[in-house]
Amino acid sequence: MVAETKGLARAREIYQDRPRRAKELKAEGKKIVGYPCIYSPSEMMTALDLVPYRIFGDMKEPTAEADRGLPAAFCPIMRSCLHLGLKGSYDFLDGMVVAHSCDAQEKTVHVWECLISSPYFHFLDVPGTVHKASQDYFKEGLKDLKKTLESFAGKELSSEKLKRAIEAHNQQRSLVREMYELRKPDPPLISGTETLQVIKALMSIPVEEGNELLKQVITEVKERKDGPQKKPARLLIWSSTIDDISLIEIIETAEANLVVDDHCGGTRAYWTDVKLTEDPIDGLAYHYLVELRCPRTYMDAVYGETSKDYMADLESRFGYIKDYAKGWNVNGVILQSVRYCDCHGFEAPQIKDYLDSLGLPNTYLEHDYSEGALAALRTRVQAFVEMIG
Amino acid sequence: MATEEKKKAISRLKSMYPLRAEVDKSYQKSVEAMRAGKPVAWAMVNWWEGDVILKAMDLEVVYPENFGTVCASAGIAESYLDRADADGFPTHLCGYSRNTFGYTSRMMKEFGGEIPPEAPMGGMPKPVLLLASDIICDARYKWFQALGRYMGVPVWTLEMPIPGVKELFMEGVYERCINFMVKELREFVTFLERLLGRKMDWSILDETVNTTIELNRVWHEVNELRKAKPCPMHSRDFWSAMPASFFLLGDVKDTLELYRDIYNEVKYRVDNHIGAIAEEKYRLAFSELPPWHSLGFFDRLAERGWNFVIESWAYHPPIPIDLSGVSDPLERIARLTFQSQVGYFEGAMKEREYFGYMGYPYLVYAREYKYDGAFLHPLITCRSASTHLKYVQEMLMRKVKVPSIVIEGDIVDLRLFDPADALSKAEPFEETMEHYKKVRKEEGFDW
Repeated sequence: MVAETKGLARAREIYQDRPRRAKELKAEGKKIVGYPCIYSPSEMMTALDLVPYRIFGDMKEPTAEADRGLPAAFCPIMRSCLHLGLKGSYDFLDGMVVAHSCDAQEKTVHVWECLISSPYFHFLDVPGTVHKASQDYFKEGLKDLKKTLESFAGKELSSEKLKRAIEAHNQQRSLVREMYELRKPDPPLISGTETLQVIKALMSIPVEEGNELLKQVITEVKERKDGPQKKPARLLIWSSTIDDISLIEIIETAEANLVVDDHCGGTRAYWTDVKLTEDPIDGLAYHYLVELRCPRTYMDAVYGETSKDYMADLESRFGYIKDYAKGWNVNGVILQSVRYCDCHGFEAPQIKDYLDSLGLPNTYLEHDYSEGALAALRTRVQAFVEMIG
Repeated sequence: MATEEKKKAISRLKSMYPLRAEVDKSYQKSVEAMRAGKPVAWAMVNWWEGDVILKAMDLEVVYPENFGTVCASAGIAESYLDRADADGFPTHLCGYSRNTFGYTSRMMKEFGGEIPPEAPMGGMPKPVLLLASDIICDARYKWFQALGRYMGVPVWTLEMPIPGVKELFMEGVYERCINFMVKELREFVTFLERLLGRKMDWSILDETVNTTIELNRVWHEVNELRKAKPCPMHSRDFWSAMPASFFLLGDVKDTLELYRDIYNEVKYRVDNHIGAIAEEKYRLAFSELPPWHSLGFFDRLAERGWNFVIESWAYHPPIPIDLSGVSDPLERIARLTFQSQVGYFEGAMKEREYFGYMGYPYLVYAREYKYDGAFLHPLITCRSASTHLKYVQEMLMRKVKVPSIVIEGDIVDLRLFDPADALSKAEPFEETMEHYKKVRKEEGFDW
């Protein structure tokens, strides 16, 4: 089916009704495979002509169904995902590829696998460290995933097919980075809200379709005259998953432009390419274990060091944030996390230390991933923007 | 004397006390050794993966998770929690971790690395190593990483592969996991040798590993005896005796003998039909960690005929496996630890219960220990120890028609558990257990 809308309008349309396109593709005979986190290698699914479809929560909906399998004091995003799964919102999925990114996700997907039947379900273990032995172990885990995916798809996954899929996904990464370049001018040419709509759309449609959408968006944004207005604050947001534009609109309706981000509904999945190695699984293993920057992974400045230098440690872990801040001329950082996210919760004071050492104003915000949280967030964002403005 | 005996609703094991004394003595010995300048490691509970090696390298080990409990019991934790809050750590993080942040902040900022005077049980001296673990919970390596804010101490993170239930049984996966762990442990030994400037004595490690395996086997057999009706050993004895296995506290050879004494006493009780409480009306499981500060509520429930016959999977020894043919001590450690995590996966696979390591064992326990109800105790600030409980509740009802009672609490914040409230729910829950006894009978279950 040919989309009637294009570019930003098309991205907005997909954002507002994500399952629609997936269901169309399913009606055409495609198999749709859900994945709740960016640690599931989409390239393998694409290479087998499966459609990778990111599972998100819905902060506008209470999570009552999740009570069947998860406690209340638990990652609200995962609770929301399970709630949607249990009530049937993801019934169009033909399978699931889930990775042990964080514990909240790992435990949720075990419950999911027990309570929601699915023709295909693969759990990919992901080590906590990036040691050489961890990389070797993870690579073998990817080979296991390849086997079960082949069986599910009913076809063989050759190295050539996988390489072509990696190239297509790398092209998407490159186009996303090009889109983010459009946020460097002052004012930025594309807003944070629009960017999130595009990213979420990309995670809902086949990669080639996404690449076409990105090209349309980039062309449109370069040509349009009614982009974001210049504002005194240019902000970076570091966050647990952001999947709802309400959280971005809070910033952009204050006297601020959100110009760059570090979360898994933004740059994290796109910032480095998968290296095209002779055995393509080598490149995938390195990318997904070592290069993805989520606090779930334990990183050392120097592996096996017998002493510890805190500032060197922070530099090795967060140096890329400094690059973002410089490249996008950022004058303030919002650190945000959903309540009960251990990975971001432990990380926040340390990244704050790092930003303080750079002299970058910052604030930490926490919320429960519900609409009810927005008013309080708005007040705190406005106060922060006023402070740095 | 006879009157005093009558007052005790739970008949505690006499053989438990010497073991507990060994545990308590080990704390004191550890404090003395540390005061004498012996290097100390702070370690996360690691299901023997690192402990045996630390012991063989003659490092004193303290467990901040355990210390959190001690601080809570001593009434000190609150001040440390406040301090962690003030230092910017979110209040939803694990209570143990926040206790450690507050403690370490005070130790480093106000006492130049010396133990703060108010620290209970001798405190935790500044370590030379932070041994993290990625088993079960992200906090257990993120937390030690974050301690870098206060002290420049190296962190080593123990890797623990944990495939899904189905994935474990794919060709080669089990051995791959073992090989991964062994490689990591070898690196860890090399790292320790560099850190401490001395070599591993492999014969000591070999012997320590063997004793640890045997100690766990005996402790497992003790718990097997608890399947008897009436159950001869109450959860309170389990919780008192558990640290000697779980943390390897004390001299492992001595504790092995003490566990054998416990086995003999429990066996005697089984042979003579002696229960841990006077009249066993209801058999229960308890999950997760108990409210250490309010253990007396078990006595009140015992007076009502509640016998707690099995506890949290995570604190039980693994189902024994024969490791006598494995010559490499590091591989024996890897297999023991891995077994502790995946030992129930085969059954989980058959029954399509894919929460194989934290959830499914409770179903096995229900059938084998034939309990009438599960007392589930979610810990507000320890989500990893609580995540599975809703699922356990659902699975127990779905598969074996066993009801659960859920009473929230915490391991550090004492205010979150209300024993009076818990006791007020006992009577209605007894009615529920009675009802489901009938349901199980109607559906052909044998208890």
